[in-house]
Amino acid sequence: MAGRKGHVSRSLEFRLFLWLSLAIVLVAVPAGFLSYSYAFREAIELQDDQLRQMAAWTGGQRFSTPPSEVAGPTDADPESRFIVLTAEPQSPWQPEGAAPGLSANAPDGLQTVAIGGVPWRFVIGARVRGLRIAVGQQTAVRNEIANKSALRTVAPLLGLIVLLPLVIGATVRRMLRPLKSIADDLERRSEANWNEIPDVGLPLEIQPFVVAIKRLLARVAESVAVQRRFLADAAHELRSPLTALSLQAERLEGADMSAEARIRLEALRRGILRTRRLLDQLLALARAQNEPGQTQPVSFLGVLRKALEDLMPLAEAKGLDVGLLSQEDIVVRASEIDLTMLMRNLIDNAIRYTPKGGRIDLSVEIHPNGAAFRVQDTGPGVRAQDRELVFDPFHRVLGSDEYGSGLGLSIVKAVVDRLGADISLGESPGGGLEVTVTIPKTLIRNASPDRNVVGARRAAGERPKIP
Amino acid sequence: MRALLAEDDGMIGEAVVSALKDASYAVDWVRDGEAACEALATHAYDIVLLDLGLSGKDGLAVLRLSRSQGAVTPVLVITARDAIDDRILGLDAGADDYIVKPFDIGELLARMRAVVRRKAGSPHPILSNGRIDLDPATHEVSFDGAPVRLTAREFALLRALLMRPGAILSRGELEDRIYGWGEEVESNAVEFLIHSLRRKLGADAIRNVRGVGWLVAKDT
Repeated sequence: MAGRKGHVSRSLEFRLFLWLSLAIVLVAVPAGFLSYSYAFREAIELQDDQLRQMAAWTGGQRFSTPPSEVAGPTDADPESRFIVLTAEPQSPWQPEGAAPGLSANAPDGLQTVAIGGVPWRFVIGARVRGLRIAVGQQTAVRNEIANKSALRTVAPLLGLIVLLPLVIGATVRRMLRPLKSIADDLERRSEANWNEIPDVGLPLEIQPFVVAIKRLLARVAESVAVQRRFLADAAHELRSPLTALSLQAERLEGADMSAEARIRLEALRRGILRTRRLLDQLLALARAQNEPGQTQPVSFLGVLRKALEDLMPLAEAKGLDVGLLSQEDIVVRASEIDLTMLMRNLIDNAIRYTPKGGRIDLSVEIHPNGAAFRVQDTGPGVRAQDRELVFDPFHRVLGSDEYGSGLGLSIVKAVVDRLGADISLGESPGGGLEVTVTIPKTLIRNASPDRNVVGARRAAGERPKIP
Repeated sequence: MRALLAEDDGMIGEAVVSALKDASYAVDWVRDGEAACEALATHAYDIVLLDLGLSGKDGLAVLRLSRSQGAVTPVLVITARDAIDDRILGLDAGADDYIVKPFDIGELLARMRAVVRRKAGSPHPILSNGRIDLDPATHEVSFDGAPVRLTAREFALLRALLMRPGAILSRGELEDRIYGWGEEVESNAVEFLIHSLRRKLGADAIRNVRGVGWLVAKDT
């Protein structure tokens, strides 16, 4: 919850919204109060003028009867209730007792007088033939009118306070949309196509940011490329001395030597063989991480069969039963070298870790979202907690005395990543390891054999149609 | 047979030279590109072993120069780079074959023999995996040196497998090889033929890869 709160308060969108809204409220509230008080005072003055005019108008009449309330106290509308008083010079106001607070010698002008505890506003003036006239109205009624009119002035401002934050919110979100779309774009990009991030047509403030990110990515990519080139170059450079070593050891075999020396020589040659294999795997890994091979439609079974041809002697030497459970072929748009590396390393791994007399089952399963290539063995399997680690270079399963290069699954992972496929490890029905490579539908060109596809002819093993 | 070895690595050169001498080759060893060009201009060789990573003038340049002068001597390229492009470059420049470091002497000698043979236009007529020999011309088959009598279809199937020992052929491919176009394929024909071939050549002669196909073991 706290994290969520922190997340919100760090949002640029939220902060812009908050501060803009706050600024509007800070300006609008005092402005509203000022407008209200001006409008209120204006309305009061207007009503005073009204009273004066009324007094002048009333004064102009000839009263046949002494004037009293113009409108009766029972009148439904209190706003229209006025009291009109008249008085001869130096005598009390008539009707008697209507406004006890108003003194007989009160000067002309405005006065507030309480009648029965309720304040009234009176205008005294308009002497007509010596007759003084006072017109009064209840103060509360006047205030109410003034209040209403003042509120009407402020109302649009209130509307503004409510509406503006909504408008600001929408605007801010709209303005920041390029930022979000760039972030989404970056998220979707892989190592391969970061260079195509567009840096034109962006908002001016964001453009330098994107340019800087691209420059940084370029530097990172450069240093990664240097590392990988070094790996490839080092492995290549090691080949010549290793060739010299292995040729010399081979030559030694022809020499006269004791039986014990011959046993040692055999061990030496096995060691050299292991080094050669490690070197080959290092180069394969460097290749899988570097140049993407040329892609073309490749028959999956065709490549699988070639990989099997290379590995069958190894499997036969251990007495393993290797077989393919499915017959359907798929055509994958990929580099043939990549696919070969993928399958050879997976099958080689299975052969290495499956004990003598075991069984390895391969299968290709086509489903609506693509295809799954599965390798199941009857070896020791990989514990669930180690399943992520085995893809790390040189990770070796504890307690195993198998001399692998430690790179097989790293190569597989590099190829899988490059293909855009997916790999998962599990337990096979025989209790061993089950590796599943899921090939997305987008890579699969055609599920039926096509004569123009590399290896399809051989894989499908069909008879040519009779013309 | 006279061979030219162009290799700048002392240890490799020395080992290859003595191995070639043991195999009855007359060997001249040069250690840079200039010397290789000179040797090629002044002597006639039956085969050239050319390391691509020579100092002075690199192997590809030597090869191009030699080919541009009309030399037809078989050239086997030795390279530490196994990137496909490098191989194609070498073959395009006129190499007859390539071998990638590290290699075994046995493999080198086999490639040399194959290159010379191909260049001489006399590919070895006998198909063999070391135990089974098959002569496509006379239709004679022998197993461990003892002649074996095969039917025409058994022979066709065995020949298909012996074309590339170690390669797996599917049922469809085998049917292709033993039946002509328009001939009716009997459903169990391949299994039947393989069964009878195993009876004549031993159970191990033809191996099955479950779900994929059949092969004869490679020469070991």
